[in-house]
Amino acid sequence: MRSFGILLKNELKLNIRNMNMVIFAVIVPLTVLVILGFIYGTKPAADGTAYTFMEQSFGALCCISICAGGLMGLPLIVSEYRERKILKRFQVTPVSPAKLLLAEFLIYVIYCIVSMLTLFSAATLFWKIKIHGSFMLFLGSWLLTMVSTLSIGLLVGGVAKNMKSASVIACILYFPMLIFSGATLPFEVMPVAMQKMIRIFPLAQGIGLMKAAFLGLPVENALLPVTVMSVVTLICFGISVKCFKWE
Amino acid sequence: MQTVINVEQLSKSYGNLPAVDKLSLSVKRGTIYGLLGANGAGKSTTIECILGTKDADSGMVSVLGCDPKKDRHRLFENVGVQFQEGDYQPEIKVSELCEETACLYEAPADWKKLCKQFGIGGRMGNTVKSLSGGERQRLFIVLALIPDPELVFLDELTTGLDAKARRDVWKILSELKSKGLTIFLTSHFMDGVEALCDEICILRDGKAVFFGTVETAKKASKCENFEDAYLMLSGQEGEKE
Repeated sequence: MRSFGILLKNELKLNIRNMNMVIFAVIVPLTVLVILGFIYGTKPAADGTAYTFMEQSFGALCCISICAGGLMGLPLIVSEYRERKILKRFQVTPVSPAKLLLAEFLIYVIYCIVSMLTLFSAATLFWKIKIHGSFMLFLGSWLLTMVSTLSIGLLVGGVAKNMKSASVIACILYFPMLIFSGATLPFEVMPVAMQKMIRIFPLAQGIGLMKAAFLGLPVENALLPVTVMSVVTLICFGISVKCFKWE
Repeated sequence: MQTVINVEQLSKSYGNLPAVDKLSLSVKRGTIYGLLGANGAGKSTTIECILGTKDADSGMVSVLGCDPKKDRHRLFENVGVQFQEGDYQPEIKVSELCEETACLYEAPADWKKLCKQFGIGGRMGNTVKSLSGGERQRLFIVLALIPDPELVFLDELTTGLDAKARRDVWKILSELKSKGLTIFLTSHFMDGVEALCDEICILRDGKAVFFGTVETAKKASKCENFEDAYLMLSGQEGEKE
């Protein structure tokens, strides 16, 4: 346990030193929050709604760091370590692939937690957001969205041939999800036809669930997104550990 | 004397190109074994097949009584490895690389002591990439010794070093041997091999063309100088002239 802590600590230090994730998973979401805050302030989301626009967008904002970590950071670091033969160095030590992947995985969980906490503090402090629904439900759906998205990233890093293909796959997943699933552009301002198409993104499902939990809206058929995300998580974890390649 | 590495009829080819061809060798505890040969003769492939990081096509390998593919976890608690092309994370510091390596083992050696012993104690806060070639190679020896191993594999450890740095590394290795460590190495520097290795094996196109000691190699080739003997036995004599 202690030894795993040391591994995690050192890998986290290296990751922070690299700065990419500090920018994309912590600073970018905060910047988007501030911009939205200046535009919408404490205005209600629409005429007559009991919640503000900021409250409505909060779940989506939390997903920017989830996207950055899961669909950019994690796949790229795993494939980079493989391509640079760093994994090969680990291969001739007693460490197991599962332990190594878990350490990398937890780094991005930490980024997501930090991002969520900074967003929540800033939004509460400056734009007085309140949780209308259940905090525990919100936390649960946030956790599920994060774990399922990160597991997709783990899988991409695990199966991609090299860094180049990992980065192509990462971009294909990252940008559409980031832009269209409501993480940056609020879902509500999109045309209805587009909203319908976007619902197929797993991230959009997660955001929907988080929003409903945050705002205290009734959730129709919550079982479907929960099942989809859980199954995705299990499959991705299973394949990435099972098919792990050191080189 | 106890055998720590035993290889029988090992073969490995890449497509149609045989890299290692029916190689058999054994290494005794407490000795330094040199695997020699020109570039592309199959040295690195042999090491990788012995360690199980590459799958051999056929043959049997046993290291410290373990099957390296099946008992990876147990084997690497007791074996230190320095790869020719192994890399480290960009921006990593010496202390971080050592600490992170040490945490992977159940009973690691004291890496701070090792760094001091190998003259890089003052460089622990520096990044690995800022080290000089000689310092980096000494760091790689430290890394290979962190498991507190019974056996170490060193693949072309002294390549890229100047004469003084190379001699320092050879001296370190001979001290390690006197403490009972078994060392399996590859090298292109015959002065060091002559000074260090108890036994050598020369590879040529994946086949072993000579087994024995430095002295028997000189006798077999009727050369007084070991480098000449090596070039003759490894089939590179013509290229030299």
